[in-house]
Amino acid sequence: MTYDLLSVYPAKLLEYGLAIGYLLLFIPFWRYLEGGRPAPARAPRRAAAAVGQAGHRGWFRLPAGLHVHPGHTWARLDGDGLVTVGLDDFASKLLGPLAVKVPAVGVPVAQGEAALEASDGRRSVRLAAPVEGTVVEVNDGAGAAHADPYGAGWLFRVRAPRLGSNLRQLLSGSAALRLLEDASEELARRMNPELGVVLQDGGAPVSGIARTLAGDGWDTLARGFFLT
Amino acid sequence: MADTLVPTAPSFLREKVLLGMSPREYVRSVVTPFNVAAALILAVGLPVLFLRFTKGLGAVTNLSQSAPWGLWIGFDMMTGIVLAAGGFTIGATVQIFGLERYHAIERPAILTAFLGYVMAVCGLLADLGRPWNIVQAIFHYGTASVLFEVAWCVMCYSAVLFFEFTIPFLEWLGYRRMVRPLRKALIALTVLSVIFSTMHQSALGSLFLIMPTKLHPLWYSPYIFVLFFVSAVIAGICMVIVESTVSHKVFASQLHGQPVDVEALTLGLGKAGALVTFAYFFLKLQGVVDGHAWHHLATGWGAWFGVEVVGFVLVPSLLFAWGARNRSVRAVRVAALLGILGIVLNRLNVSVVALNWQAPHRYVPSWMEVMVSVTLVTIGVLAFRWIVNRMPILRQAPAQDGAEGSRP
Amino acid sequence: MRIGRRGFLQATAATAAAGAMLRPAPARASLAPEDGAGVLVDTTLCVGCRACEGACAEANHLPAPPSDDAVLEQRRDTSEDAFTVVNRTEKAPGVLRHAKKQCMHCLSPACASACPVRAMNKLPSGPVVYDPARCMGCRYCMLACPFEIPKYEYGSATPRVRKCSFCAERQAQGQPPACTEVCPSGALTFGKRAELLEIAKSRIYTNPDRYIHHVYGEAEAGGTSWLYLSDVDLGLLAMKGDVPGKAFPELVAGALAAPPFVMTLWPPLLMGLYAISRRREEGEGGPDRAASEGEDAHG
Repeated sequence: MTYDLLSVYPAKLLEYGLAIGYLLLFIPFWRYLEGGRPAPARAPRRAAAAVGQAGHRGWFRLPAGLHVHPGHTWARLDGDGLVTVGLDDFASKLLGPLAVKVPAVGVPVAQGEAALEASDGRRSVRLAAPVEGTVVEVNDGAGAAHADPYGAGWLFRVRAPRLGSNLRQLLSGSAALRLLEDASEELARRMNPELGVVLQDGGAPVSGIARTLAGDGWDTLARGFFLT
Repeated sequence: MADTLVPTAPSFLREKVLLGMSPREYVRSVVTPFNVAAALILAVGLPVLFLRFTKGLGAVTNLSQSAPWGLWIGFDMMTGIVLAAGGFTIGATVQIFGLERYHAIERPAILTAFLGYVMAVCGLLADLGRPWNIVQAIFHYGTASVLFEVAWCVMCYSAVLFFEFTIPFLEWLGYRRMVRPLRKALIALTVLSVIFSTMHQSALGSLFLIMPTKLHPLWYSPYIFVLFFVSAVIAGICMVIVESTVSHKVFASQLHGQPVDVEALTLGLGKAGALVTFAYFFLKLQGVVDGHAWHHLATGWGAWFGVEVVGFVLVPSLLFAWGARNRSVRAVRVAALLGILGIVLNRLNVSVVALNWQAPHRYVPSWMEVMVSVTLVTIGVLAFRWIVNRMPILRQAPAQDGAEGSRP
Repeated sequence: MRIGRRGFLQATAATAAAGAMLRPAPARASLAPEDGAGVLVDTTLCVGCRACEGACAEANHLPAPPSDDAVLEQRRDTSEDAFTVVNRTEKAPGVLRHAKKQCMHCLSPACASACPVRAMNKLPSGPVVYDPARCMGCRYCMLACPFEIPKYEYGSATPRVRKCSFCAERQAQGQPPACTEVCPSGALTFGKRAELLEIAKSRIYTNPDRYIHHVYGEAEAGGTSWLYLSDVDLGLLAMKGDVPGKAFPELVAGALAAPPFVMTLWPPLLMGLYAISRRREEGEGGPDRAASEGEDAHG
C-alpha cells in the first residue's frame, strides 16, 4: 500500500468540510442547549419554608427560614456573609439547661466538625458547626439557649465564605422537619425502657433527658444524633 | 420493631453484616424474586465456568482459529471497562472541576467503576488460555505491545479505585482516623485515575491498530484511540445517570432527609452528555473520511454503521439536548440508556462484529459464553447491592456530614 | 490546598522530568538485523511430494501428516498439529503448482510486537519463537498476524499457541531447518535472507518469462524471512494477498508513544483546572478568606 498523494485531496476536502460544518452546527446546538427556562432555583423548598408556619413535628418544633444541620444545629443567614448559629429544639430539649461552651471570637470552625461542647461538669458531648467560617460574635446571654433556642438563645455568629457549598449540605423546610420527626422517633425507640419516666409527666419528654441517661449513653447520643 | 425490649449484644456480624437482623431473620429477608433469579443464574453460570477451567475454552466457547476473540473479550472486558468509566468522569467533575453538587453521586460512581473493573478482570481470567501466567506481565515487559500498556494501566487504575473504595469501607468499619490521610490524598488519586483512565480507555482502541486488514474500514482508523476515549467519557456520563436513577429508587430509604436533588444533577449531566455525543458523532464521521472509507457507507456494513452512529449517537445527542433544554428528566434518562446501548454496540462492533469481517465463517457466541457473561454481571450487581446496603455510599457515615463538602 | 504560581511551575517541571524518565524504549521498525536466516521458496520447482510436511512433523514430534496425496485437492491451512502444509493449484491443464505454507518469520513480526509478555520473540538469527512458559493465552498474536498463522489448542486445559519455529534449535546447532533438508527438488533454499533476496531477483532477471515479477515477502508486512517466487497468483495457493507493505509494529508506534505525554501533561493541566476552580470558589468568600485558610478546624 503505497501512499497515494492524489487521493488525499478529496479526502482533505471532505475532512475540513465536515469540521467546518460541525463548527457551524455547534453554535445553534449550544444556543439550543443553553436556552429553555432556568431552573426553579429550589423555589419549592424555599416556598415551603417561607409559606409554612413554624412546623411542629413529633415533640419538637422548627421555625421557618432556618437551615438545619443533621447534627441538630441551625444556621440563619443574616446577609453580608454573616451567619447566626444555634442549637435546634431537639438538641436543646435533650441537653436541658446544661452549660454550652461556644468557641471564642476569631476561632475557625468547619462544617460537620465539633465546635460546641455541652457538659454537666463530669460528662460532655460535642455538637457540630453547621457552616464553615470564623467566629465573629458570641452571644453573652447564651443561658437562654435552653428556653429560646431559636431566638435569644443563639450561640455565635460566623463569617462564612463558602456559604454556597455549605448550604447544599443543610436541610430546610419539609426536609428539616422530617429530620426532627425522625430524631424524635429514634429517641422514642431508644427511650422505650425509660418511657415510664416520661409518661408520668404527660407524654412529652421533659427537658434534660440526657441527664437521665447512663454514662455511655452520652456517647451513643453524640454518635447517633449530634454526629460527633 | 421494638427490639430494644429484648436487648441483644450488638456484634460486628450482626450489626455490620446482617443489617441488624438475627441470622434467621436475615435468611428469611433474602428470599426475594430478584434473589431467586440471581441464584438460578449463578447455579447455571458457575458450573459452566468450572467446565471452562477443567475442559478448556473449546468445550465452552465458539472461538475458532479465525475468531480468537469473542464475547468475553468484547463484552466482559471491553464493554465492562468502558461502562466503568463513570468513576473517573465524576471524580474529575467533583474533585478537579470543583462542581461540588455532584458529590452525592461520586461514591456510587466510584463503586460502580471498582466493581466493573473487578468483574472485567474476572471475565479476562476466564478468557485467557493460561490465566496463571497473567503475572508474567509484571516481570516480562512487552513494551512494543498495546496490550502490555492496557494490562499495566488496568492494574494501576484498579489499585487507585481500590484505594478510593477503602474510604467508605473504613468508614463502615469505624476506622475514621485511617480515613483522613486517604481523603487528603483524594485529589492525587483523582488525578492519577484520570491519567490511567485516559491511557487505557484509549489503548483499548489502539489494540486494533495492528489489524488493519481484519477490522472493517468503517471502524478502523489510526485515531481509534481518540474515539475510544471520547466514548468512554460518554459512557461515564450515561452510566452515572442510569446508575443514580436506579440507586435512588432502589435505595430510597437510605436517602431519607438528604438534600440530594437527583433531578437537577441529571439535567446537568444531560447537558454535558449532549455536547460530548454531538462532538463524538462528528468524530466518527471524521474517522471514516480520514480513512478514505466513505464508499463503504453504501454497503450493508455502511447501513450497520449508520445504525450505530445515527441511532445510538446522534439520536441520544438530540434527545439529551431536548431534555436538558426543556428540563425533562425522563428524556435525559432515555437518552442515557440509548447512549449506553450505543457504546456497548460500538465496543461489540469493533471487537466482535466488524472484526474478521472478511472471514468465511461468522463467529456467534455460544449459550455458555452468554451465560458466563450474564453470571459475571449478576455477581457485580449483587456485590453493589450488598455494599450499598451496608457502607456509606449513598448516605453519609456519622460525623462525615459537611466535612465531605469541604475539600482539602 | 493553595498551590500558588511557584508551586505550579515546580509541579509541572517535576512531572515533565518524571515523564521523561518513564518513557519506554521507542518501538523501532525492525527488531532484527537483515542478515538473519531465510528460505527461498521457488514454487515453479515444487513437485508436491510433501516430504517437508513429514520432516516437520518428525522434527517437532507432531502426528504424521495424511499419507494420501489426495489431500492436495483440498485447501488446507496450518493447524495446532501441523506447522506446515502444501497446497496445490492447476495453472493450466496438467500443469500443477504447489506452495508450502508456514510461518513467514517476519523481520518485524506483528505477533512478537503484540505479545505483552514476550512469549513470542524474534531472535536476531531470524526465527520467531514461542515460549509457552510465559504465554498467558491472550491470543492477541493470532489477531495481529496478517498471515493468520498462529493456531490455538482450544481443546486443551493448558493451551499453547502453535506455529512453525523455523527449527530454531536445529539452527542453533548449525543445522538447516528439517523441511529444507529433505526437499528433493530444490524448491526450498536455506541461507541468509539478504542473499536469498538477491538470488530471487536474479532468477527473475535471468528468466523474466518464468516468474511473476514479484518476490512475495520482500515488502509484505515490512519484509519476511521466507521469500516466494511464483508464476501464478499466490492467492490461488492459499497465501494471503492483502498484506500491507508496512511493518506492523509501526502501526502502533504512535499510539504507544502517547502514554509518557499523557503522564507528563495531564497533572499540570488537571491541577491547573483544580486551582482555577478553587480560586473561583474562594473569590466568592471575600478578602478575609486568607485568614481562615489552611487547616480544617478540629473540635
